[in-house]
Amino acid sequence: MPRNLLRRAVLPALATTALLLAVSACSGGQTADDGPTTVTLWVASPTEAFSKALVDDYNATHDNQVELTAIPDDGFLQKVGSAAGAKSLPDILVSDVVYMPNYTSQGVLLDITDRIKDLPFADALAPSHIAAGTWDGKEYGVPHKLASSVFFYNKDLFKQAGLDPEKPPANFDEILADARAIHAISPNIAGFDFGGNCGGCSVFTQLPYMWANGEKMLTDQGTKADFDNKTTREVFGLYKSLWDEGLTPSNANTQDGSTWADAFVAGNVGMMAQGSAMVGKLQAKATFDWGVARLMSPDGSGTSTFVGGDSAAITATSKHPDAAWDFLQWSLEDHAQIDIVAKNGDLPDRTDLSDNQYTGADPRTKFIVDGVADGQTPFAVPFGELFNDPNGPWIAMVRGAVFGDNPDAAIKDGQAKIQAGLDEAAG
Amino acid sequence: MKKGMSRKTRAAVTGQLFVAPAALIVLVLFVIPLGMLVWMSFQDYPLLGSPTFNGVDNYTSIPGNDTFLNAIGFTLAYTGATTVVMFGVSFILVAIANSSRRGSKFYRTSYFLPYVVGTAAATLLWFVDSDTLVGVFNQIPLALGIIKEPIAFLSTPELAFWTTIALVTWKFIGFQVIILLMGLQSIPRELYEAARVDGATVLQQLRYITIPFLRPILALLFILSVTGSLLAFDQFLILTKGGPDNSTVSLVYAVYNTAFVKFDMGKAAALSVVLLVALLLISAVQLPLLRRKDV
Amino acid sequence: MANSPITAASATKTTLFHLFSGIAAILFLFPLVWAVLSSFKSPTDTSWFPTSFSLANYQTLVDYGSGVLSYAWNSLFSAVLTVVGTVVICVLAGYGFSRYEFRGKRPLFIVILAILMVPYATLLLPLYILLGNIGMQDSLIGLALVLVMFQLPFGILIMRNAFESVPRELEEAANIDGCGPIGALRHVSLRIVTPGIVTIALFAFLASWNEFLAPLIFLNSGDKFTLPMMLVNVRSGTFGEIDFCALQAGVVVAMIPCLVLYLVLQRYYVSGLLNGALRG
Repeated sequence: MPRNLLRRAVLPALATTALLLAVSACSGGQTADDGPTTVTLWVASPTEAFSKALVDDYNATHDNQVELTAIPDDGFLQKVGSAAGAKSLPDILVSDVVYMPNYTSQGVLLDITDRIKDLPFADALAPSHIAAGTWDGKEYGVPHKLASSVFFYNKDLFKQAGLDPEKPPANFDEILADARAIHAISPNIAGFDFGGNCGGCSVFTQLPYMWANGEKMLTDQGTKADFDNKTTREVFGLYKSLWDEGLTPSNANTQDGSTWADAFVAGNVGMMAQGSAMVGKLQAKATFDWGVARLMSPDGSGTSTFVGGDSAAITATSKHPDAAWDFLQWSLEDHAQIDIVAKNGDLPDRTDLSDNQYTGADPRTKFIVDGVADGQTPFAVPFGELFNDPNGPWIAMVRGAVFGDNPDAAIKDGQAKIQAGLDEAAG
Repeated sequence: MKKGMSRKTRAAVTGQLFVAPAALIVLVLFVIPLGMLVWMSFQDYPLLGSPTFNGVDNYTSIPGNDTFLNAIGFTLAYTGATTVVMFGVSFILVAIANSSRRGSKFYRTSYFLPYVVGTAAATLLWFVDSDTLVGVFNQIPLALGIIKEPIAFLSTPELAFWTTIALVTWKFIGFQVIILLMGLQSIPRELYEAARVDGATVLQQLRYITIPFLRPILALLFILSVTGSLLAFDQFLILTKGGPDNSTVSLVYAVYNTAFVKFDMGKAAALSVVLLVALLLISAVQLPLLRRKDV
Repeated sequence: MANSPITAASATKTTLFHLFSGIAAILFLFPLVWAVLSSFKSPTDTSWFPTSFSLANYQTLVDYGSGVLSYAWNSLFSAVLTVVGTVVICVLAGYGFSRYEFRGKRPLFIVILAILMVPYATLLLPLYILLGNIGMQDSLIGLALVLVMFQLPFGILIMRNAFESVPRELEEAANIDGCGPIGALRHVSLRIVTPGIVTIALFAFLASWNEFLAPLIFLNSGDKFTLPMMLVNVRSGTFGEIDFCALQAGVVVAMIPCLVLYLVLQRYYVSGLLNGALRG
């Protein structure tokens, strides 16, 4: 009897073991055959719709297939990091352009310098994106989805405030004056809005004011920071005035980006520096007339824009680099750029296509695309951890200078911490 | 030989067989990965590049890691506050849930409901609800005239701290209430009946029946609450993003940032190992609570 | 009668009980009820108070990616595996820990508790590499095994406590009656510890159903993604912009199965079943 009992007791344990073994034995590696190739592509969820339009068209017209996986934006860095650690990255990685130096400097990506050079339109590819994907003279990435920062304003509110709706502000004094006039319409109407607790939002919309004044901000391959200057003080000073005078929505200092377009789209905000992606939202939802302008230097003497968005690259561990490149090359050719990208209201990746019939149809989108030519993409290996990360030194500096009592100390402190971060990454 | 096996040995073998499946899972999916983590902690391990051995550098760099050091104080404060609030509130709620009055089932269900929502989703709900412009936590008191100006719940370190604790209480208290309820229900009613016959007061019943019987459950909840709070992370990542101005960066948040924002897996592994050792020490103090000596 | 002081006092007590409990219930339910209301708002309705009715947010979920049903199925599959695995392993281990003395008992118990003490996010990377080595990357089964592992400390503690509150005499009687250890477990104790089993099953289900980070790391193909991953994927803009209306619809969809399960199961652990079993 005891033995019988023992056996009964053994059973569950054995069953579990057997299950484990069977399960772990049944999934082996797949062998690649010589037929059409399937390449895998990862993209963060906000860019998914954009990439999917390209992938669907490509898959319908080619033997090779692209399999797109949208990675939740919240977990994109973890996912790519873990996959790189486990050598299981996809063939094509579409990543926020500011993270490119992170990948290129670590050898995660495949050198595609020659392939890019062979493209007939190589020189027309958004130059700041190519620069962001270049490391040690080798090119690793091509532009995929372009985004740029733009000054938006609500023409209806301009009219109500007695301002000329065809005359957006041309310098910082006019921004402040117009914001006051618009806020005077009603306490529920804000003159200006911004994401005051969002590193990504603020770097995307505030750096251009500084560039427009000729400041470089990051130099020497992103190893030197220069934020302790007069322009920085003027930019943060403007935002501080806007906040201190109550001309912004009350949630501007807690706005972490998750709802930063909502108040403007709802028609409750007069002006805002925002991403070109807001155009789509305005076209779909806005019940008012809106206009665009360029981000300007404090005195209005220059303009600039932050060319952001996503770059596409082939991973160093890809087993199908040729098939992967075939898709990337196709995605940059006229058909894809005009009939898919431009038709959907997005910015073409090539400067030579800004005159296409779709982009040109709305003077506002044409205006935005034309701005890309003199835009910049900042370059620094630890860009994400210094500027985008909600715990990084950039947003701490912005908050100190805009919401704090001692802007000067905040800027000096920010400069020191950003420089320290750059030094640490440089090793 | 088997006949020679003593009764005691045989019982021991049977016991080992009962725990064998758990032991196997723990070995394969916990001990081995933990070993890998320890190995990583001795490497210069850029998440994206290839690892190289760097001895104890990752450990010796910890005293210079301000983010991590600042996180220690914050995490301890958070753990203390959360544990006190959670236990206090859950005792009241479990008394309601365990009541024989009508409606107690409904109350019980309503206190538990937030627990079924995922942490990420629940935190996002709160993030928007606590917004000064669109958040209903402000709009309703404003509409009722209770407050004149919207409250920016996440704008100062103190407000953000207590908002997070309110969220955590709302979200996780159901778990605690259900476990306490399960413990209460397992106390034989005969004991209370006998005590009542003997003329014991409610307080005496609590002191001599309820608390001793609940001891292992209370100890379990205490350990879960303390370790859970010391490792708290999601709610900060989503609700406060560590802000305002890095005032709510918890220990695991700092580890997470090291691994997935700075891509430095070696240092993150070393921090994890240090945390694990600290938590083991803290738990070693608590573990005797789990033993059920004086029931 | 109505005027007797005892009745009046008890009526006041009852009123106070309901007043207090009711306010607490409203506080707990409000954010969820609000999410349900807002999920039926039209996506273009930007007022804080819902004034429109529309199913557009649910349509967004249905249209997204492989469709909400595919994600729900993956979630259900891994949740059921997690529940079964957790219950079987924890019942056996809880019984072993409460009833037997053997070598290695204490170290094993401490190692199991140590699972609670490792920063979860950093352990996922070694786990991912390990699962890759045994061919279980991008596998819902691998995901479920990991989730089971994370449920062990809580599950085993609960089951051990539950078994310890069962009088040994009952089992000894069963042993004398000719049942072995498994027999005694099955026929005598298992029925008594049902509340414990239901509890760990419920929490295993909730943990697995709502888990975000582990599936994110372990799963590579979109057709295996789970519901929480879809929820955070339904977003429109950059810099973490949320399609809040769709998110609320998603929260409602994800909440319903958990709610139903809780309501169905609750009678098992809160109906004096234990006493009934002891008496019967």
